[in-house]
Amino acid sequence: METRALFWGLESFGVVAFYLIGFAAIGAFIWGVARAVGKYRRGRSSPVPLDLKAGFLRMMLDVASHRTLRRRDRVAGAAHALVFFGFALLFLGTAIITLEYDILHPLWGVTFWKGMFFKVFSLTVDLAGLAVLAGTALLMLRRGTYPPEKLDYRRGYQNEAELRPAARRWQVEDWVFLCAIFFIILSGFVQEGLRHAMESPSWTYWEPVGAFLGKVFAEMDARDLHWIRAFNWWLHGLAALAFIVALPWYKAKHIFAAMGSLAARDPLALRRLPRAEAGAETVGVGKLADFSWKDLLDFDACTKCGRCHEACPARMAGYPLSPRDFILDLRLASDQAQGGALPEKTLIGETIAAETLWSCRTCGACLEICPVGVEHPVKIVKMRRQLVETDRIDPLLKSTLGAIGTSGNSFGEPAKKRANWTRELEFTVKDIRREAADYLWFVGDQASFDPRNQQVSRTVARIFRAAGLDFGLLCESEKTAGNDVRRVGEEGLFEALAEHNLAEMQKAKTFRRIVTTDPHTFNTLVNEYPEFGATAPVAHYTEVLCDLLESGALTVKKPLNLKVTFHDPCHLGRLNKRYDAPRRVLERIGCTLIEMPRNRDNSFCCGAGGGRIWIPESPGTQKPSELRIREAATLGVFDVFVTCCPKDLTMFEDARKTAGFEKDFVVADIAELVAQAIELDAIALADLPNLTEKLTAAIAERVASAVAERLEASLARLPTLATAPPVPAPAVALSAPAAASPLPVTAWAAQPLAPAKLDYSAPAKEGLRLLVPVKQIGKLGDEFSFTADGRGIPSEDFEYLLNEWDDTALEQALQIVEALGAGEVVVVTVGAEDAEATLRKALAKGAHRGVRVWAEGLADADPLAVARLLAGVALAEQPDLILAGAQSGDQANAATGTALAQLLNLPHAVLAVGTDWQGAGVIGVTRELEGGLLHRVELETPALVTLQTGANTPRYATMRMIKLAKEKPVAVVAVAGEEAAFRAASIRRLYVPEAARAAMLEGGADEVAAKVMALIREKMGETA
Amino acid sequence: MSGILIVAEHTRGVLAEASLELIGAAQVAREKLGGPVKALVVGESAGDFAGALNRPGVEEILVAQSDNPHFDAAAMEEVILTAARVQQPALILIAHSASGGSFAAAVAVRLGSGFAADVTGIGFAENGLAVTRAGFGNKVNVELDFPGKAVVVLTVRGATFKAPEGAGNATITPLSVPLEGLAGRYRHVGFEEAPASDIDIGKAEFILSIGRGIQDEKNVPRFAELAKKLGATLGCSRPVADSGWLPKPHQVGLTGKVAGNCKFYLALGISGAVQHLHGMKHVETIIAVNTDANAPIFNVAAYGVPMDVFAFADALERCAGTP
Repeated sequence: METRALFWGLESFGVVAFYLIGFAAIGAFIWGVARAVGKYRRGRSSPVPLDLKAGFLRMMLDVASHRTLRRRDRVAGAAHALVFFGFALLFLGTAIITLEYDILHPLWGVTFWKGMFFKVFSLTVDLAGLAVLAGTALLMLRRGTYPPEKLDYRRGYQNEAELRPAARRWQVEDWVFLCAIFFIILSGFVQEGLRHAMESPSWTYWEPVGAFLGKVFAEMDARDLHWIRAFNWWLHGLAALAFIVALPWYKAKHIFAAMGSLAARDPLALRRLPRAEAGAETVGVGKLADFSWKDLLDFDACTKCGRCHEACPARMAGYPLSPRDFILDLRLASDQAQGGALPEKTLIGETIAAETLWSCRTCGACLEICPVGVEHPVKIVKMRRQLVETDRIDPLLKSTLGAIGTSGNSFGEPAKKRANWTRELEFTVKDIRREAADYLWFVGDQASFDPRNQQVSRTVARIFRAAGLDFGLLCESEKTAGNDVRRVGEEGLFEALAEHNLAEMQKAKTFRRIVTTDPHTFNTLVNEYPEFGATAPVAHYTEVLCDLLESGALTVKKPLNLKVTFHDPCHLGRLNKRYDAPRRVLERIGCTLIEMPRNRDNSFCCGAGGGRIWIPESPGTQKPSELRIREAATLGVFDVFVTCCPKDLTMFEDARKTAGFEKDFVVADIAELVAQAIELDAIALADLPNLTEKLTAAIAERVASAVAERLEASLARLPTLATAPPVPAPAVALSAPAAASPLPVTAWAAQPLAPAKLDYSAPAKEGLRLLVPVKQIGKLGDEFSFTADGRGIPSEDFEYLLNEWDDTALEQALQIVEALGAGEVVVVTVGAEDAEATLRKALAKGAHRGVRVWAEGLADADPLAVARLLAGVALAEQPDLILAGAQSGDQANAATGTALAQLLNLPHAVLAVGTDWQGAGVIGVTRELEGGLLHRVELETPALVTLQTGANTPRYATMRMIKLAKEKPVAVVAVAGEEAAFRAASIRRLYVPEAARAAMLEGGADEVAAKVMALIREKMGETA
Repeated sequence: MSGILIVAEHTRGVLAEASLELIGAAQVAREKLGGPVKALVVGESAGDFAGALNRPGVEEILVAQSDNPHFDAAAMEEVILTAARVQQPALILIAHSASGGSFAAAVAVRLGSGFAADVTGIGFAENGLAVTRAGFGNKVNVELDFPGKAVVVLTVRGATFKAPEGAGNATITPLSVPLEGLAGRYRHVGFEEAPASDIDIGKAEFILSIGRGIQDEKNVPRFAELAKKLGATLGCSRPVADSGWLPKPHQVGLTGKVAGNCKFYLALGISGAVQHLHGMKHVETIIAVNTDANAPIFNVAAYGVPMDVFAFADALERCAGTP
């Protein structure tokens, strides 16, 4: 009967030895796996809910279909399939033999590994072995002869010329892994061949490889065959066991880790970021122990296949980020933690550079293509959270986040102006806070404030109206949705924004659905807001346009006959799988779509996501948007690069110019094409250029303006609403009164002012105490009015901020206390209840305690009146040092500090740009005088110093810190009437100065530049 | 009890131009308040400045001797107070400067006087003196008066009032003020010049100046390049120097340098804070480029370009390349 001996040529001693070695190997393997699992278990729990059962099924499907492995690398996918399925069959074969030989036969005497079953079994494992050999050979050939660029471990994006030592080890393990598999299979076949050569079994066709090799070996001397067969038996067996022992220690561990990472994959990864863990010691991830077990598993799952490396727009643009290297660097750090506690060493700046973390645009290309379910950008955002918390932020990003915190938009515009783009419409847009509508249009920042995108917003509004779609806006109650804020890592601010917007939606009148033109807003509304509260179904405007066109609500009157290409926005396409609606729209309006090589899930990011639109591009890098525009340009002749994302429009219009394709095609929003196709409001055809003409420079210019400005102009049938003129000043003459009446005379007397008497007693002093007066200043937008008496401005016309100079003083105080390692910083403000927000911000930055002084009617207090109140508090606090801002950003009196010093009889120095103080005795102060002259002085403390901006860089207070600061004590001091009544001056009236205005030069950039150049030459001569 | 007291200031032996401008401001005020106008100067060799202060419109120059050769805010305060008690002026005028700001409000506190800072206009209303100052980021003018105040202390914005030309015929009166009680709590250590530089804003005829609008330090080189191409000197506003993007000598403005010889000033991304305008608003041809069409810089510029500075810079770069 057909079968074969398992332990050919072995005495019982050999069999026992082999079993001992075998059990030892399995024990070593289990130990190795346990160590790895132990490491994962030391990670934090998953911050997102995981359905492991569904995940396991999905993993099985992915593995069985090899879906994730075939993508964008068919050769590697096919080779892996050969190796994987071959190996799986061989594993199954070994298991079957074990079942018979070690379990069924010894226990019950059952045998089945014989006869026909044996023949089919043998053929199967022979073919499986061949598949593995072919697969590994292919992989070795690919790696050895024509390695794809993505397999190069040199970090070209960082100008790395030589491989780093770790990368050399990676190369070694890659080859060891392939060679080990190849060798085990090969030695198995050799064994089979030797058996055939020696035993010449009859079932040659059922073991074709064995039979073939048997013929090759048949020529050999019988004795040689015998010892080679014995030797090879051990070689094969020990190699297989060694493979098992080593498995958890190098690349091969992906066999298990990747199954784990695939099963534990978050289906909403990056679309919905994990919430900050409430009880966590640190914010975000700063060290290995802050990662979740899934993160640690991800590091081990990576096989360095390089698909993410290849897809990453940051890497391609020359930024110091490759998702592959990011994971590999973290893996190196995590490998050191094998078998022990996770190290407390910080990763940021050591293992991963902050710049690397800021390079990411959260486009999701890496995560989407990763065959083993590694979630790179989520880890990046978690690490960014730590950067934000520890104030390691780009200055511009810091000011943008500050602006969002203050006015709810990233443009630093007053919240009131949010719906101003609708003013130029010839109809009134519903305010959903007052009137119910079918759709709530969540507009977003870019579409609300960027002039070019405002045009698109108006076009969309007109289309909606033409289609009879009933929509309304939240107007100034809408704040930025927070998608980018969250991806920057300012989780607290995101939470505040989400809660605000959800509350406003709750308060609004009824609506059924939400629509937005912004994919970023779309993503966060769809995937993230539901964790904070109930929302309505959300549609992207391309879906709405598609419905309107297909249902006949909009009819195409003039098919455009344009050749276009379309850019899938990352947050709409790749992350939310909305690929078809825009394409169907383009088809409907008669456009021929030519796809770019990278489209749909492989769309290439414009570079603006993840908050990068707020961070300037680094020198020496390329713009991802330019790379994309160049890709489009390879398509040959086409007319329009179509976008459906406000950020895309901005980025690509810019890139088209900077990359030099102004004469070749235009960039337009899909709604602008729809507007033309439906001949919205009967635009005179003559006004529109023929886009299909071979575009010349002149036409391109014409197209650009037609698609944007002219379209808008011709649509606006009603006269536009003029911006409200500034309120004229009340006519109070500043001239002298009637000549006869003499000026009132008050008897001359010097009556020194004293600190205000306040009903306030400060906590007992326990050490050093620094007092920092802070002011909440009002910033006026372009539009404001005066109160009825003409002496004030309504508070709703202001945006309130912490005075920049006070912020500098506070930073100086905090740095002094931090350097000394002791002391208390008390912030005091004179302000109404809403000034508490500013006080909280100061407390969030690190001040220990706050005092707020207020009484009705103090709104018009002058610097001396304010100084009296501050002095009253200072008397109670008895600070060792007072640091104040040199002036306020709104009134710029630069007087309060000096007055306060005098009221307290303290030595003082104003306009300091540096201080030097050890907590007692003399403080050295460097003042900055006119012309930049520095003046060094020394003051005996207690003293008062006012700070000039530039003395330091004030830190950023995250929304989380601001919330935490709610726990810090704030004393509220009410001022008695007579104490609040003092004024050193009283306001007669406010008015808008009549300023001489510059002659405004209008026109395109080149036109204006030419005019300026002419002026320069006229004034400065031809030398310029 | 009447008249106007002017407080002169000087640094390292040079009388401040702002002090002479105060004489101009006093001319406006005296029309209603009446004279006399007296100028007070304090210092180790205060008498040296009497000549310079002797301009038309000054009746008397009070010279207060002090042992301290350097500026001392507390000493200034004492001297002014003594002078005020003797002279009983209705108005005390002090320059709105680093020095003036060190003592003006303190004097007002000690006198219990009316007070306003950074005043740009002096006039009168039914109940006396009424002054104008800019508030709310220069978007609004605020008119103030001082009901019931026998004396008012004002700090006056520089380059606002014109100093009278020519020589006056003021009498010079020494003023003796004991300052011994002040010693100990404040000490002058020394001056340190702004770091030397190969550029001189004061001498430059053509300045290309950049402000916060350039957004990032990384963008500085391209504007430096543009300035070089145009043959302009690169200037900047305070925030740019504060952030360390450009060395201090490039800064135009009150705490920087005054563009004294400039004929053509191209302001890119500068909104026009008062302190910057101080250094350049006198320039004959100012072209301002700023995205905010309401930026105060457009109030002093001859030509305005409401445009993105980068788009403009790109276009100008291209333009400069072609004859």
